[in-house]
Amino acid sequence: MSALTFTLRAQPPERLDLSPLVPRSLAGMAKRDMEKIRLGISKHALTVGDLFSVAGNDADQLVFEGGSDRFDCVGSGLDEGSIRVVGNVGAQAGRKMTGGALTIEGDAGPHAGSAMRGGRLEIGGDAGDRLGGPLTGEMAGMAGGVLVVRGRAGDCAGDRMRRGLIAVLKGSGDYAGCRMIAGTLAIAGEVGKLPGYLMRRGSILLDRSPRRLSPSFVKSGSPDLVFAALVDRHLIADGISRKPLLGGVVGRYGGDNAVLGKGEIIFSVAERDR
Amino acid sequence: MLTRISGGEIVDPLNGRSGTGDLWIEDETIVEPPASRRPDATFDASGCIVMAGAIDIHSHIGGGNVNTARLLLPEHYAAHASRPAVTPLSSLGWTAFETGRLYARMGFTTVVEPAMSPGSALHTHLELADIPIIDKATLAILGNDDFLLSMIRDDASSSMIEDYVAWTVASTRALGVKVINAGAATAFKENVRTFSLDDVVPSYGVSSRRIVKTLQAAVAELGIPHPLHVHCNNLGAPGAAETAAATIAAAEGVPLHLAHLQFYGYGTEGSRKFSSAGARLAELVNATPEITIDIGQVMFGQTVTISSDVMRQFSARGGADPRKSVIIDGDGNGGGIVPYRYRKDFYGSVQWAVGLELFLLIDDPWRVFFTTDHPNGAPFTAYPRLFELLMRKEARREVAEGLPKRALSLTTLPAIEREYSFEEVAIMTRAAPAKLLGLADRGHLGAGALADIAVYRKQDDVARMFEAAALVFKNGELVVRDGEIEKYRWGRALRLNPSPDKAMVRRLEAYHQERYGLSLDWFTFPDWAIARENPFGEVPCRA
Repeated sequence: MSALTFTLRAQPPERLDLSPLVPRSLAGMAKRDMEKIRLGISKHALTVGDLFSVAGNDADQLVFEGGSDRFDCVGSGLDEGSIRVVGNVGAQAGRKMTGGALTIEGDAGPHAGSAMRGGRLEIGGDAGDRLGGPLTGEMAGMAGGVLVVRGRAGDCAGDRMRRGLIAVLKGSGDYAGCRMIAGTLAIAGEVGKLPGYLMRRGSILLDRSPRRLSPSFVKSGSPDLVFAALVDRHLIADGISRKPLLGGVVGRYGGDNAVLGKGEIIFSVAERDR
Repeated sequence: MLTRISGGEIVDPLNGRSGTGDLWIEDETIVEPPASRRPDATFDASGCIVMAGAIDIHSHIGGGNVNTARLLLPEHYAAHASRPAVTPLSSLGWTAFETGRLYARMGFTTVVEPAMSPGSALHTHLELADIPIIDKATLAILGNDDFLLSMIRDDASSSMIEDYVAWTVASTRALGVKVINAGAATAFKENVRTFSLDDVVPSYGVSSRRIVKTLQAAVAELGIPHPLHVHCNNLGAPGAAETAAATIAAAEGVPLHLAHLQFYGYGTEGSRKFSSAGARLAELVNATPEITIDIGQVMFGQTVTISSDVMRQFSARGGADPRKSVIIDGDGNGGGIVPYRYRKDFYGSVQWAVGLELFLLIDDPWRVFFTTDHPNGAPFTAYPRLFELLMRKEARREVAEGLPKRALSLTTLPAIEREYSFEEVAIMTRAAPAKLLGLADRGHLGAGALADIAVYRKQDDVARMFEAAALVFKNGELVVRDGEIEKYRWGRALRLNPSPDKAMVRRLEAYHQERYGLSLDWFTFPDWAIARENPFGEVPCRA
């Protein structure tokens, strides 16, 4: 059995909704029927057959050869099996996924991993704004699973996050971890202004001291945290990071006291500041 | 153009017509079968029930509070309505466009938005003008506004109050008057948190009862066909049946309409001090012929409560699900938007049963109206299932089996065997609402009536039957075929047009200048502000 592969023929002329292409709904489906699935969201009603050539037979592993930032909702609702995209994707990749593995080798658009509850979403390139965040009006963002961004994340990464782990390896935009309810957000690299803005609970882990922090955070010293060592070990063991994120000495801020104030920002203290 | 609908089973209680027959339409109206002419178009209705287009007298389909609810719950559009197959993108979800489409496919051709704050009349009419196919109407809210309360306090003459009510109805293009928890919204601004029929509004010294009686008299005197539409005090509270009973008694022989009575049908028996008083209220309604009511049936599931009863919504915000709400302490009534999920738990089950008890125990279908108080008890898309519950006791039993026995034991529902007939449904949803609102041209299939016609394919599954009409005609045009929209057209907003008294207009101009520093022109608008051809249809007042 070989992975079920969708090879993109040409850049799509409109935005696509790829949510129908997940292992559970494709299992046991004949190739002919697959090609009839509608993906286009305009009146052109583009189908799988119009956009992709389909090969392979193992619906448990899907591969998209070629991507586009018009690929919306890739792996939306994924609950088992794996999807790999060789290329970029658009908005809402892995939205509400509960299991399985989604790997995007290129960049992802806004709302990647939006409200995901389980499984593993790995983005090789950069991610857009509101990584793991809720759509307008929803009460909670990411609520479980692991989300790894090997590049940079946009603004509001981990917005309203509730549970699970997000790791970003090349820095993020402004308001990282804003409105966090709980969960863990680890960021290596430069973060923009006001990380942890209005966070209630949860942990934001940084590999350097945050530069522009809200005044409603209070410094709470340099505690000796078992948790820091545990997280460092986990990030390496899980293949997310190659070197420790926090290292030996950490500093901590508590906040955001503008709201509940039970959250924390733990950061690695540079050698010269120790 | 002459059209014939042939071979359908006609249900037209107003004209006493029932049985298989033909129905003839010429242009916009229903006509007697012509002697020798051939129809330009014939529609086969064999195996179908033919009724007049349905009328919903109480459904919150437009205006400021509805829009606030949309803003509060953007994530619910998709859940509320499935995405239509071939429509422009702007029509996704809970929009004005969808409202018209979904009502029309159920065979509803006239819908009344029952809570238009006079200050947002223009907004409301602009929004209603965007609802396709169906005709609309509004009721203007009075009873918490400073101008009226001050007049009552100062013992203004009844003719002055009538002039004010007439001006409000005319300038807001309303079809009637509604009073919502009379006086409570004003008392709420002075930190009062419970308010009953004989409580007095601080600073005005006016009781809730007096406000209701004053407005009831003004509405009757002006010849407004729809009696005062009353949203009683203490909505949703255990023991609210007392308040409803007191309000029924306060009608004193003059017509009065009580909105969503289900929400008042709660007693205080049982260990949880929450029980059904549905049977008691039904008995009172049966014994009081001047009272009409609509139900506000609760159906299980997610919805959002939208009300200008700001006091009630303020106290309900703790139960918001999802946990977010908007309370507007605004001019006059203000309002509150509180999302809510009716669960099959003890309380939800009692509420569900109370509504059905009222439906089934009130004998006269001319005085009980079919509503869910959309979206407060359930979205109007739940109507087909509700028709099934009324017409099939088996369907009720099936739902009841999944509910807590303790809850149902505090109601009389399990013992009720009544099933609504098609005739009774036609009275409750067609003939009676037309009579109640003073719309002589609709709600029946007699010659001269407006050709608003709904044709349903007869089948065992009542919910399926009412969900998607086989044919719907609006003003003689075929708009729905097999549940799909055949043609989009623009309906009108039905309004009264009592001529306002010139002295009252001058007084109001002075009042608005003094209180707000604004011209009265800010609160009125010309017809052409609604950019549609003939946006309004005029309904006469009683002479």
